[in-house]
Amino acid sequence: MIASFLDSWSLFGTTYLVGLLAAAALAQVGVWVVARNQIFLGAAVAQASTLGVAVALSAAPLAGGAALAWLGSPVLPLVFAVLASVATAWIVGRPRSAQSESAEALNGWVFLASSSVPVLLLAHSPHGLEEIQRLMFSTLLTASPLDLALFAVLAAAGAALTAAASGALLLFSVDPESASAFGLNTARWRALAALWLGLAVGLAIRSAGTLFAFGCLVLPPLAAKGLCREVRRMAWVAPALGAAAALAGFFLGHRFDVPPAHATVALLAGGVALSWLRRR
Amino acid sequence: MPPSAAEALVRARGLALGYGGATVVEGLDLEVRAGEEWFVIGPNGSGKTTLLRAVLGLLAPRRGELWLHPDVANRAHVGYVPQRSDWNPALPTTVREFVSLGHVGTDTPRPERPERLRWALERVGLGGSERVDFRALSGGQRQRALVARALVRRPRLLILDEPTEELDVTSEASLLDTLEELVRSEGTALLFVTHELELAFRRASHVALFAAGRMTAGTREEVLGGDALERAFGARVRLGGHT
Repeated sequence: MIASFLDSWSLFGTTYLVGLLAAAALAQVGVWVVARNQIFLGAAVAQASTLGVAVALSAAPLAGGAALAWLGSPVLPLVFAVLASVATAWIVGRPRSAQSESAEALNGWVFLASSSVPVLLLAHSPHGLEEIQRLMFSTLLTASPLDLALFAVLAAAGAALTAAASGALLLFSVDPESASAFGLNTARWRALAALWLGLAVGLAIRSAGTLFAFGCLVLPPLAAKGLCREVRRMAWVAPALGAAAALAGFFLGHRFDVPPAHATVALLAGGVALSWLRRR
Repeated sequence: MPPSAAEALVRARGLALGYGGATVVEGLDLEVRAGEEWFVIGPNGSGKTTLLRAVLGLLAPRRGELWLHPDVANRAHVGYVPQRSDWNPALPTTVREFVSLGHVGTDTPRPERPERLRWALERVGLGGSERVDFRALSGGQRQRALVARALVRRPRLLILDEPTEELDVTSEASLLDTLEELVRSEGTALLFVTHELELAFRRASHVALFAAGRMTAGTREEVLGGDALERAFGARVRLGGHT
């Protein structure tokens, strides 16, 4: 059983590695999303990435023949996915006055708009609609060497940032008022957080879809909360849990012929439930 | 090394502060020196927190001059204690991790931080509690942890925004004793915002009294001894058993 899974690495090794690295990179930034208690920001950002992909797919034919070549290329939808997720993370993560709509309301609006508009944009484009359905369903079959390189860089950068600035990240996440009082430029940190979250989710969407991206963003940190006594430790345990769950998901996918993204998220959800039971 | 008692840390001359198009308070004149205990008092919305925001560099003056000592201007040696800790109760943390957040924005070398942490916890009566779950602390202990978080910065100026608001009488007295000892031994200056007039009457060396868009500042006797309080609050105020 395991030997068969190991044999499959020759064919799917790149996809497996991308899944592991994507899960780890998403969980790295997800720790700070969970610390800020903004779980549904992750859902909104993931769905907004899908809107970005839909805009790219629908705009390419309008731009003329030269742009048609981009349709088959992963670059344009990738760029649009990242732009949409960074913009959403920045806008929804902004501080609001007491009179403004709540973060939950904004997240809900972004999620619903980004779920409905892509289908309308691509309703008459069989290829495009198929792509959007694939993203929403979440598959892990199309990873490329470019994806592998991007996620390796992202995971390494996330680890370096966590090692160098976990205190600042934590203070900015849980107590921005004190962070300002202690001299942190919170506007810059907010921009960095939006960029990090947007990059991780926007890149993951193309390779793995919204379910995998949202699940690996928030479930590993939620599970790590039950295993760790400090947030700084969570910042290292959560990516390890994400990567381990992705590996197990690929194994289950290979062994039982089920979608590995769904297997990964289901395993993580079970892990969170166990950690909640352990805390009771 | 404790700073000289005469050294000025904050100086305001004819300062006006506000938000958007509105001026909240104007004509602010005060000088905070090392070792002084300033209590900032006044009704809600009178400009107390606005002054704190200006001293913390979060609000630019509309008019007048606000001079800050370099150690205050760069905020590496400024401590800040909010009204309460809003720590997400579902998020695990220890006293060590929570108090260590005070190192953010300082240049304290990493090897010195554990010792600084132990010193700060001892000062607030939480010595030996590094590994304790922060969420298991009482309200008074959490407030002490917030003070310890400010102390690890070795502050020359400690700014406290209504830190005793939610404390019982015993916890309040204990916290205030800790602060007094800190002022005596380290020469730290305090800017303590409260609307408990009695506290200022009992503990302040200096008082900044906000009312009707203006501020009266000086020693406790100057500000609380005359009729400034009555003018500020529009009614006779009874303090320390005297009307």
